[in-house]
Amino acid sequence: MPDFSQLAQAKDSYIYVYDTVLRYLLPALVFLLLWRVCKPLLTFRREPEIWAWLVLESGKKIPITHWENVIGRSKRSDIVVDFPTVSRNHAVLRRYADGSWTVRDADSKTGIFVNGSQTPFAELAEEDVLTIGGIPMQLVPISRKQEKRQAKLRTKAAGPVSTMVNLLLLTAIQILLLLGFLLGGQQEHAQSIALGFGGIMATEWGLLLFTLMLRRTAFEAETIAFFLCSLGMAAIATVRPGEAGKQLIALLLGVATFLVVGWSLRDLERAQKARYLAAVAGIGFLILTLIFGKEEHGAKSWIQLGSMTLQPSELSKVCFVFVGASTMERVVSKHNLWLFIAYSVAICGCLALMNDFGTALVFFVAFLVIAFMRSGSVGTVGLAITGLGFAGVMALRIAPHALRRFATWRHIWEDPLNAGYQQTRSLMCIASGGLFGLGAGNGWMKNNFAADSDMVFATVSEEWGLLIAIMAVLSTVALAVFAVRCAAVGRSSFYTIGACTAASILIMQVMLNVLGTVDALPLTGVTFPFLSNGGTSMICAWGLLGFMKSADTRQNASFAVRITKEGRDTDE
Amino acid sequence: MNRVASRAMIAMVLVLALLGGMVFFCAEYISKAKTWVQEPGSPHLYQNGKIAQGLILDADGAVLLDLSGNKTYAPDAQVRKATMHWLGDRTGNIAPTVAKTYHEAMVLYDIANGIYSYGSAKGRVHLTLSSRLQTAALKALGDRKGTVAVYNYRTGELICAVTTPTYDPDNMPNIAADTSGAYEGVYMNRFLQNTYTPGSIFKIVTLAVALESIPDARELTFSCDGEYEIGSGKVTCESRHGQQTLKQAFANSCNCAFAELVTMVGRDKLQQYVELFGIMDSVSFDGFETKRGNFDLSDAYNENLCWSGIGQYTDLINPCAYLRFVGAIASGGAGYDPYVVDRVTVGKKTTYEAKPIRQGRIMSQETAATIREYMRNNVASKYGDENFLGFTVCAKTGTAQVKGQKSNAMFTGFLLDEKYPYAFIVAVENAGYGRTVCVPIVAAILKELE
Repeated sequence: MPDFSQLAQAKDSYIYVYDTVLRYLLPALVFLLLWRVCKPLLTFRREPEIWAWLVLESGKKIPITHWENVIGRSKRSDIVVDFPTVSRNHAVLRRYADGSWTVRDADSKTGIFVNGSQTPFAELAEEDVLTIGGIPMQLVPISRKQEKRQAKLRTKAAGPVSTMVNLLLLTAIQILLLLGFLLGGQQEHAQSIALGFGGIMATEWGLLLFTLMLRRTAFEAETIAFFLCSLGMAAIATVRPGEAGKQLIALLLGVATFLVVGWSLRDLERAQKARYLAAVAGIGFLILTLIFGKEEHGAKSWIQLGSMTLQPSELSKVCFVFVGASTMERVVSKHNLWLFIAYSVAICGCLALMNDFGTALVFFVAFLVIAFMRSGSVGTVGLAITGLGFAGVMALRIAPHALRRFATWRHIWEDPLNAGYQQTRSLMCIASGGLFGLGAGNGWMKNNFAADSDMVFATVSEEWGLLIAIMAVLSTVALAVFAVRCAAVGRSSFYTIGACTAASILIMQVMLNVLGTVDALPLTGVTFPFLSNGGTSMICAWGLLGFMKSADTRQNASFAVRITKEGRDTDE
Repeated sequence: MNRVASRAMIAMVLVLALLGGMVFFCAEYISKAKTWVQEPGSPHLYQNGKIAQGLILDADGAVLLDLSGNKTYAPDAQVRKATMHWLGDRTGNIAPTVAKTYHEAMVLYDIANGIYSYGSAKGRVHLTLSSRLQTAALKALGDRKGTVAVYNYRTGELICAVTTPTYDPDNMPNIAADTSGAYEGVYMNRFLQNTYTPGSIFKIVTLAVALESIPDARELTFSCDGEYEIGSGKVTCESRHGQQTLKQAFANSCNCAFAELVTMVGRDKLQQYVELFGIMDSVSFDGFETKRGNFDLSDAYNENLCWSGIGQYTDLINPCAYLRFVGAIASGGAGYDPYVVDRVTVGKKTTYEAKPIRQGRIMSQETAATIREYMRNNVASKYGDENFLGFTVCAKTGTAQVKGQKSNAMFTGFLLDEKYPYAFIVAVENAGYGRTVCVPIVAAILKELE
């Protein structure tokens, strides 16, 4: 460990440099970094890709543009076959990473026939004749050569050099944050804080190295996550400097979760198997909490494990996304939807018993997103009713707790010393910090309750300025928009639903956290993903990020997307 | 797949909600951040409910109080005692009103930098009070209770306002254990929060009413044989003043003549004019508010009515409000509200600057000129110019009788010297004759002006 005892002498000169340069340099660097990182996420081209042709008897060729395609009479089908004998959603045509194709009957009235015999599911080889509603057709996949050419033309993620430049920028930001605490703030916890920031830097470079070794170059989402983690570390350094090491461990666990989730999603079959495990784990975590949990601030959502406190409901979120995500084959089947609804009801029951309003709200939104994305014309009504029931039970159960929050909402200045204390202090501190902040350790927020978790937006804003705090929010917006944009070129609805739900959970948490802190919404005590202090919250955020990586189909971009030899854009 | 892809837009709904919320917050920030910073209890401005930092300085720039930490008062005990009622003490028995009123201006806030300032520039409240005059007045008052105040009648700037008894905030006496009565009303700033029976200094008011309401009042003559009978009662003088003009009667402070004058003016006019002059009103400035006076003629008949015009009966005046009235006469019939905070600065920036607040005209210029002339005559013919160190003083003394106690000595007036446009008021409780008690006090302050 380096010797920190002589830092105090450097304080005066640091303060001078901070005052004249660093105060303005830091937000500028953050802006530059986020600009570089978010731009490809928001603007990458989504080329229409053709994976095969469906040739009708007449010689008419229908292009197949997705890996999962619904064939049906409905105008909203991917392949529209407008004949009365064809069901609205008749069959699902699906491509696999190895280039093979299958067709599955989607509970159609007239069934599907391959080479004349009826079948619920069959692999389609090149010469096979598929008959749907009496109409024969043949699948002609693109050749390996065409596939390779398509891969070449596909938008690439940023190259390794650009990615490294981004990470260098982030490292510079992290060093400036760290210097603030070492030179400008108290030196008491210098070692712990240095360990915290040093650990993040080591982790991010390690993960980048690993990604490059897998011959993937997209690191934008991870860079944003590490940026938010660094701000979170800055908040911990000022609020609870002793917990820097603990948060670093949480980060490492988070990255591990990220890799596991990403790995399990590489293979759709594996991912679908993981669903069952996730379903059991998701509800299991909640039940464990109900049995062993302790009540804190009205909500029973914590488990004490030695010196560690865990919030298993955070982990359940990742599981819930696994359970909710679904391939097109399942999306078109009502049966699967009802299973999911039943599962959601069970989850909702547990949450109601736990009395955790914020988490319940996040789950509810996740449920709505999944439900909306999955439900066609059929399930909508059932889903809406379930949704209503979900909300009703939640409201009844949590009413007294939530009502108090709602009563204070937009009235915090009427009772600034009691009900409105946390938020009035937060607003005072945000305003005191201005756009550029008061500098490391100079804030007051550390004296406020939950300054490093529920109110972390104010803590960051006070010490590092509103500009950086707002940019932190906008960076999560970029992640979410990226997930939505990826949907158009999604290889499977499993990934699209997973990524969009994960993005929705992240956005919902940011919204409840930030807008709750500033009294634009009632305060619900939800964590800011990556930024808030809290191990399970950190693990959950990284797990959700794993889902977003699986939707990134840019060429050679994501480790969570498997590339075959033909699909690889290299000359080897 | 198309279907799911298009339904992905539901996530955009949440994104838009978040962005909308952020825009809402930013709009609130732009319009309200300044109020948030300055709300009571704002952590960077207050510590434990007290203003966290800042300096209060006297007119010469000497630091009277440093608010940071445990508070540091002036190094000189006399200065501490003489200014404590304006600064507040450590116990909170005397509130730090000035700092409280101007705490917003004491913080350099702007929307870009918040309250960040390099080298932590402290807010500085520059008072109009002069430590030199304060200590001189304190010394002149000695251990008598009362108040002495001097203010600029052309601006309202209060250059001296002392109240006794007082104490050293760095050396708190045990007030609760004191039985001598020496600390009676010690937490009160008598200049602001006390009222006194005015006695003969109130004759200025009656004179003004007469000059305003009786045509050719200057030509009036009075005959005094020591007693003025009215109804079943009477008004008395300490000696016979004989035949005298109004000017002489004012100089003689002849009760009989003024009793007659009151009957000439009449009850309603007297009441109306006193209200018009604003003498009984509360004066507010810099977060202070003075105690209201009392002038109620609703049950006053005959000799009671007459005594009320001579500053006895139930009359009560607040020294600050009366000083403003006398200042109005000095400045030609329209005075200025007093103020004690000249400006507030943070670093090189001035965040507050006092502007003289002119009171409306309360009497004609001629009336003001006549009273000035008469008050000048008082000094020249009765009190002796030699007692005022060569200053051209216009004044009126009063010896207000207080039931069962020694009289209060009262004195008020102003200087006509161009360089020293000052009005003053002195009230010394249970001290005896106005002239013998108060003239030396004013002289002691004038000495410091030279």
